[in-house]
Amino acid sequence: MSTRDLNLGVEVHTVKSDEGYKLPVISNAEPAPARRQWRSIQERNADPALADKAKDEFPPGAGVFSAIDRRGFLQLLGGTAAIAGAAACWRPPEENIYPYTRAPENIPGVPQHYASTVTFRGFGQGVVVESYDGRPIKIEGNELHPGTRGTTSVFEQAQLYKLYDPNRARQLRHKNRPQAWRQFLAEVNALMQRHAQDGGAKLRFLVQPTTSPTVASLRAQVRARFPNAKFYAWQPVSEENARLGAAAAFGQPVDTHYDLKNATIIFSLDSDFLTWDPDRLKLTRQFADRRVPEAEGGMNRLYVAEANLTVTGMNADHRLRVKPSQVQEVARALAAALAGAGLTDLGQFGGGTSLDEKAKKFIQAAAQDLAAHRGRSLVLAGLRQPPAVHALAHAINAALGNMGQTVSYAAAVTPEIDDGIASIKRLADELKGGQIDTLVIDAWNPAFNAPADLDFAALLKSVPNTLYWHYYVDETANACNWLAPAAHELESWGDARSFDGTASLVQPLIAPLFNGIPLVSFWAAFTPMAEKSAYELVREFWQGRGVDDATWRKYLAEGIIPNTAEAPITPTLDMAGVSRALQAATPASEGLELNIIPDYRIYDGSFGNIAWLQELPDPVTKVTWENVAQVSPATAKKLGVEAVEHGTVSWVKLTVRDRTVEAPVYVAPGHADDVITVSLGHGRKDTEEALASRHGFDAYALRFTDAPWFQGGLKLEDTGRPYELAITQDHWTMEGVTGEPRDMALMTTLGGLEQFKEVEIRRNRSTLRPDEVMQEPYKYEAGAVNGGDATLQPTGYKWGMGIDLSRCIACNACVIACQAENNIPIVGKDQVIRAREMHWIMIDRYFIGELDEPEVAPQPRTCQHCETAPCEYVCPVNATVHSDEGLNDMVYNRCVGTRYCSNNCPYKVRRFNYLHWNYGKTATEKMMMNPEVTVRARGVMEKCTYCVQRIERVRIQTRIEGRPIKDGDIVTACQQACPAQAITFGNLNDTNSKVAKAHADERRYDLLYDLGTRPRTGYLTRIKNPNPVLASATQTPAHGAEHH
Amino acid sequence: MATEHAHAAAADPLAGVPVLLGNHTDETLTDTLFGHVWRKPGFGWYALFGLALAGFGLFVLAIAVTLYKGIGAWGNNIPVGWAFGIINFVWWIGIGHAGTLISAILLLFQQKWRTSINRFAEAMTIFAVIQALVFPVIHTGRPWYAAYFLFPYPSTNSIWPQFKSPLMWDVFAVSTYFTISLLFWFMGLIPDLASLRDRSKGKLQKIVYGILSLGWRGSGKHWHNWKVAYLIMAGISTPLVLSVHSVVSFDFAVALLPGWHATIFPPYFVAGAVFSGFAMVVTWIVPARRFLGLKDVITMRHLENMNKIILVTGLIVSYGYLMEHFIAWYSGNEYEWSVFVNRATGPYAGVYWLMITCNVVTPNLFWFKKIRTSIPAMWILSILVNIGMWCERFIIIVTSLHRGFVPSTWEMYYPTWVDFTLFAGTIGFFSTLFLLFMRFLPAVATAEVKEARHEMEIGHVHHHPGLMKAGLPEGHAAH
Repeated sequence: MSTRDLNLGVEVHTVKSDEGYKLPVISNAEPAPARRQWRSIQERNADPALADKAKDEFPPGAGVFSAIDRRGFLQLLGGTAAIAGAAACWRPPEENIYPYTRAPENIPGVPQHYASTVTFRGFGQGVVVESYDGRPIKIEGNELHPGTRGTTSVFEQAQLYKLYDPNRARQLRHKNRPQAWRQFLAEVNALMQRHAQDGGAKLRFLVQPTTSPTVASLRAQVRARFPNAKFYAWQPVSEENARLGAAAAFGQPVDTHYDLKNATIIFSLDSDFLTWDPDRLKLTRQFADRRVPEAEGGMNRLYVAEANLTVTGMNADHRLRVKPSQVQEVARALAAALAGAGLTDLGQFGGGTSLDEKAKKFIQAAAQDLAAHRGRSLVLAGLRQPPAVHALAHAINAALGNMGQTVSYAAAVTPEIDDGIASIKRLADELKGGQIDTLVIDAWNPAFNAPADLDFAALLKSVPNTLYWHYYVDETANACNWLAPAAHELESWGDARSFDGTASLVQPLIAPLFNGIPLVSFWAAFTPMAEKSAYELVREFWQGRGVDDATWRKYLAEGIIPNTAEAPITPTLDMAGVSRALQAATPASEGLELNIIPDYRIYDGSFGNIAWLQELPDPVTKVTWENVAQVSPATAKKLGVEAVEHGTVSWVKLTVRDRTVEAPVYVAPGHADDVITVSLGHGRKDTEEALASRHGFDAYALRFTDAPWFQGGLKLEDTGRPYELAITQDHWTMEGVTGEPRDMALMTTLGGLEQFKEVEIRRNRSTLRPDEVMQEPYKYEAGAVNGGDATLQPTGYKWGMGIDLSRCIACNACVIACQAENNIPIVGKDQVIRAREMHWIMIDRYFIGELDEPEVAPQPRTCQHCETAPCEYVCPVNATVHSDEGLNDMVYNRCVGTRYCSNNCPYKVRRFNYLHWNYGKTATEKMMMNPEVTVRARGVMEKCTYCVQRIERVRIQTRIEGRPIKDGDIVTACQQACPAQAITFGNLNDTNSKVAKAHADERRYDLLYDLGTRPRTGYLTRIKNPNPVLASATQTPAHGAEHH
Repeated sequence: MATEHAHAAAADPLAGVPVLLGNHTDETLTDTLFGHVWRKPGFGWYALFGLALAGFGLFVLAIAVTLYKGIGAWGNNIPVGWAFGIINFVWWIGIGHAGTLISAILLLFQQKWRTSINRFAEAMTIFAVIQALVFPVIHTGRPWYAAYFLFPYPSTNSIWPQFKSPLMWDVFAVSTYFTISLLFWFMGLIPDLASLRDRSKGKLQKIVYGILSLGWRGSGKHWHNWKVAYLIMAGISTPLVLSVHSVVSFDFAVALLPGWHATIFPPYFVAGAVFSGFAMVVTWIVPARRFLGLKDVITMRHLENMNKIILVTGLIVSYGYLMEHFIAWYSGNEYEWSVFVNRATGPYAGVYWLMITCNVVTPNLFWFKKIRTSIPAMWILSILVNIGMWCERFIIIVTSLHRGFVPSTWEMYYPTWVDFTLFAGTIGFFSTLFLLFMRFLPAVATAEVKEARHEMEIGHVHHHPGLMKAGLPEGHAAH
């Protein structure tokens, strides 16, 4: 079937074969002329078979109609001349893909879902991709996959934008000239044959560690072919320290797998495990499952020792601010305290005497708590901490009897475990020797992200032959001879393993939009299998593992290959090894300390061109579009770099050793004193990634091989220049300007819940509700379904939402999921400064208590779908109206844009198209749009619809099936993505529905109930579980302290 | 000025300055009051008109930019959905109120002194409402729809406007106001237009004034019908003085936003409107009476009376402020009180204190007769009042919106150059219309002044103008 999508001006070919579906090909090709045209007699008489043969020259999936250079043109002349007049100039790949849930047939306008895999930090994340007429438009988690469990983080969601990114590399090129794939293969083949003569002694590979079994096998073949060649793995945010720590403690570099299900007391040593653990989605779910009072096993309690406020730290019950270099002191003090609490084995690791009284008290209390929960506790060490801290954490977990209970170990799922600073340093040393002729790179952008002291970009240029496989024309691409444009994972065949080892297939949903080359094809180029397509390579790999066609189809459809998880191993703890690691550790530094972290929005920078993520407010700082130098309020005062006013901050010079960067200062409550935190990945320069290079500063410039994450001796110099940041939310606490607390994100302690229920929650549910409101409640007409009961809607459905603040960790996944689902535009930094960002759901972040050591209450805020909606009665043209199922509908066609509705919305969740945000979208960006959701025009108001398109889709489906809509049939985009499962949605009339139960929960309250708006979204009070021993700091009532 | 003061001192202190100075006959009045229509305008007029036209150019430019780029060309955001557009709308509507009050209410109360300034004030009303009418349309995101979606026309989709929305009420209130004001003004002009027609030298003038005077011949029947119609129009206009700004205030009072949701808004808005309207009349009439040679007709008596009204309405406005703040505190509602504290101490405190200075402190200077009767003082104070009233609308609209219920939504609002340009443009447009008015139409209701002169001549009633009988102008009928 082939349909022409008039809106896009592109042709969409989707063909159903016997079993699966032909891979959709989208092209701008004009329809073939009805009458064949010819230019010469030879052409006129050309044998059709010859033309077909010519077409076969090009491997499926490798885009052939790239611009061709002169030599390539001559070489290919015979073939191209023959096809020139042929009817089809594109041969759809003959590869079948298999939907996740089998659709009866491919109906235009009905979405299909396919299981596939995207990778993050190399680990496979099982996803289900929604596809419309061959266009992938939404990524969601695959419930069957252990890595995602049906949810996603922002990074999985962002892959969709990446697919359609207008800045992606489109052309294979050699020394800045376009090159054809075949030409590339020929030249690489010649080069490799030369290297094969000495076994690849002058050939080096710099690779992104892969979990893909197929890529690993291809790399193994390359190694076998070039025994003298060397492979170096590299990623800027690596688990190197964790593996070295494991090697010290256990004698082998095992991966550590946490299980928070049974962990009642959790102690994080600078571990932002909710964001950066390789198994973060699983850990988030498990953590959140035990953040509610009714949790099985009771609520957990989280202690965090860290420098900068992290997502994990925001969710801590107790948080200790320390310099990053002091964390090992904390770990030693914890060991000492635990030894005092009866775990005498740990006595030998004791230390931490340099810590202050407050820290000692904190650690003492935590140690008592941990010791009282042996086998049900957990100590986690962060990836930035030196191996000694990891080793000590292992020792503590072993002493607490947590091994096998809350922590287990398994062999790493990637063969390239040495992927850190040490690895790239060795390569740099080799390059400096000048003995390397050819360097093949598929690691992300070493010219940009290698430690500053290596000066890697210059080294790259000294290598005669450099081949780079990447998605963008970036710094490294500009320093290399060859750039092979990468195909997106949704365009590629491949495979990957999740952190626990479970393998899954990377199934393409669309043929490469440009000339992208799948990773497996790139690696096959160095083997004799260069001619094979990516599909054949992956298929044959699994064929070799005994996967027959039927099983293959099943794996594709389900998205996982079962029973491939890595078996846990039980290593024995080497106490002496831990001791040795601790002795080797460097002491805490003095003075101002530089603290480098991965970025919450663009990770290490590889997501830098994803507009969604650039405009996403950082979960902690709420800064968009760039990175900042975070500094504590006290230190800012000391250094004289306090913010000038809202959004206007100091612009400073940060100097460490001989390197200087200029950065804006962000005064961060809860930040450790005498530490300046910067995040990686921003401030790109020599790249075609238009968004990545627009704002921010390059923190990699301050990274050194011997101090990749933190070091002392930082100097800060105020330039005296003000700088404007695009911050979506200032430091507001929950008070008005009078200092009176407001009931926004309600929070209490587990112990205080009973009393809180009586006073605060009750008050926020009913007592102050006015008798009369301006907007009369919608009069629902009783329908047949309800037997004439006038209180119910005619259809029997009363949609509502519940948001459990106790579960919410403020990770932002819902924000991006909503953006992808609802075609929400981005507006750019200048418009964010003007407060015109368009997100339909926002995560408010309130600070409570002391400026230095605040507690944090996050609160997702979106349209509350009020029963008596203040927006409805003020709209002069009836553009926002109540539906008979209680939705507050927005009629875009009718909206004239008076903005009165937004003015009268007490929750300020409405968003206005101040400019034509969607103007000038490229063809690929248009393809990203969800066809079920209107793309809004300039001058129109918009807001959360409770994903009405999803409600209607389910309604159509259930009508066909002749049944009512069940609980769980409708899943909103935010709810679907939420790794903490904090959001419930459904029918409030169904008392057994999850959402009705959430609304009936004793913790439920309604935001601004006293206005009489009667919101359909109920919030569940956030509960903290502080240690009574540490009452003072965090035993805060719902609101506290002064306004900052 | 010296003669005016001398006159004032000589007269009965209770009566004040008479409403008509000099020894005028109908003939001299006609010459004086129509003079500026026949005279070729001097350099001054051309200079002012050029300036005003340049201002009108800014108006066109700002609207073009707004339509081309969208409302994003303005500084509005979320949460501040309304700003300069609605501030200017309310400000201009308020300015228009003096005209209606003078023409309608003072007519019904038989305040004969109104005759010298009513034409002027009514013209101002119309021109001000024209400025105001621009904003409800172009402040919308899609003005091409707003222009007709807001009217209750029988659409084939059976979609009606939302009659609960105060913006809907605005449409009716303001369009009625404009229509009535225009008719009222035009009706008052008819006898004068006929006079102009009769005295026209040029053919074009004769034709234009002839058409506009609708065949007026000054017969007794004409005068009778005209007088009746004029009174009826006055009766229709009278409630509008109260209703229009009440309805405009509902835009805010009906919303639930703290700082907007206040029952005191309608009377307080009406008082503010009259306050600013009279100030604007003073601002314009002071130079006009000098340049058009109308000092005999628009006397210190008129000016002083207007200043007294400014004083009274200023006090009502001050009381409104007081009550607003008191209730915000007394209610114990944190959201409400927070808004008022924020107004006085927050980031826009400068605008707030400017408002207090101009609207609360300034009018109290009119307690002093010396200031009340000083031409430069009243001119400066009248301008300050209008600055103050603009600040008031800024404070009401922007400070209430920018820090609402949910602290995480708090944002700052900063206007853009387009905002300023459009505001300046409306002043230019207003001035353009006004200068054209003063060039081609009699700035004073000549027929009514003659009538007043006649009555004074007969009954020597100028000492008690308030007691003068309104009704059929026997004098005119006799002429």
